[in-house]
Amino acid sequence: MIQLFHVTKQYGTDAPALSDVSLEVRKGEFVFLTGPSGAGKSTLLKLIFCAEPSTSGQILVFGRNVSRIRPSAVPHLRRAIGVVFQDFKLLPHRTVAENVAVPLEVRGLHPREVARKVAVALRGVGLDLKGGRFPLSLSGGEQQRAAVARALVGDPALLLADEPTGNLDADRTLEVMALLEAASARGTTVVVATHDRALLARHKKRVIALEAGRMVSDGDSIRRAAGS
Amino acid sequence: MDALRRAPLVTAVAVATVFVAVLVTGLFAALLGGGERLVAAWAGDVPVSVYLVPGADLEAAREAARRIAPGRPVEAVAPREALARLRASLGEEAGALDGLGEDVLPASVEVRTSGLGPAGVRELAARLRGVPGAAEVDFGGAWLERIATLLARARAVGVALLVAVALATAVLVSNTLRLAVYARRDEIEIMKLVGATDLHVGAPFVVEGALQGLLGAGLAVGALLGASAALLPRLRGALPLAAPLTRADVLPGGLLALLLAGGTALGVAASLLSLRRFLRRA
Repeated sequence: MIQLFHVTKQYGTDAPALSDVSLEVRKGEFVFLTGPSGAGKSTLLKLIFCAEPSTSGQILVFGRNVSRIRPSAVPHLRRAIGVVFQDFKLLPHRTVAENVAVPLEVRGLHPREVARKVAVALRGVGLDLKGGRFPLSLSGGEQQRAAVARALVGDPALLLADEPTGNLDADRTLEVMALLEAASARGTTVVVATHDRALLARHKKRVIALEAGRMVSDGDSIRRAAGS
Repeated sequence: MDALRRAPLVTAVAVATVFVAVLVTGLFAALLGGGERLVAAWAGDVPVSVYLVPGADLEAAREAARRIAPGRPVEAVAPREALARLRASLGEEAGALDGLGEDVLPASVEVRTSGLGPAGVRELAARLRGVPGAAEVDFGGAWLERIATLLARARAVGVALLVAVALATAVLVSNTLRLAVYARRDEIEIMKLVGATDLHVGAPFVVEGALQGLLGAGLAVGALLGASAALLPRLRGALPLAAPLTRADVLPGGLLALLLAGGTALGVAASLLSLRRFLRRA
């Protein structure tokens, strides 16, 4: 699903944000990407969904080398990837349902089909009664659930989540993680970037650890928690 | 017009900028077109006169002039008639001609040139030099030629100026529209992140730019039509030489269509300019 070969990313003359990272995420896996702030977690996710180009190395996503992908092919690749952000990135002047509909609208789906899929996605995250509300009228947990619904509404093969619980309390964190695990159970490959060690301890998943742009470990969360 | 609802000030500035650019362009083109129409009309009113040497055969000269300018009214003016015309034109001062002989003025042949422009008149005058007995050919159009030359130069300078105005307007409007695009940068970013193509993201902005350009140009065309309706009758009343001038001479339909299309194109170009950077970034 995702393969990185000696990937380096450097901004200007600063120290590399990522340095010689090689890894593989197989189809259907649930992987935590962890490390302190500035470790390169977000940068790695950006490289995977083509928000940034790598400085060197090769990145294969769905078997396509995104290091050499044509700009016109990027939107089509992104349609197979759902992304959840720490700050939700919901459009404040659009309703929750309209926000969730955006990925379907850009694909040119028929409005009736869009409405049907949006209803299913909102029901899946427990927001079926709040589709007509505007994001800022919702709680942080509800906003993040709306963002998860938007990421999953297009049935992506890959879900990337960048600190999806960073702004949430413990109960809301459990809710959002349950949604991500449910997506994984349905066959979606899930990569979650987080610096929350409690999250890693609670969920027994593969953990890839980064520090200062380098990959320092790759194993299950139990070993990771025991080692830390 | 989603932009009008979300950013009315930005829309108003963009429309006003296109309005001014199209209005200036339209005024210039109207003045130029009106000037050219008047020069053509005046040129047609001035006959070409072929003055004959004393003793030349006036009838033979008239026949020769008819052959040279087939289909055009040709009149033979005998010395006596020439003097009578001069007397009539002098009015109360005609007494100054008393005592002059009847053949003091040369005989001439006059050819009417209505419908010919200054260049056509000059070319006809050159051919009429071949009339037997011709001493001098006068088409009284040296001043018309100067005006025509002036208009031709103004047209050349005007085209260069209009290109500069169009470019400046495109940059100005694109900077204005960039504010609108900037205000929606989050929306653009999110749409790009979920797989929107540049076409999908940019199309609404381009359509908005086109509508704003069309609106600005439409207002300018309306102002030009209003100004011509108000000013032309007064101009014709105050200046008899401007009598042949009509609205179609000053603001022909083709020019109005061109102004509308140009304003719309300006809006589209400005949108594309303003979008380029944002689409690259996302």
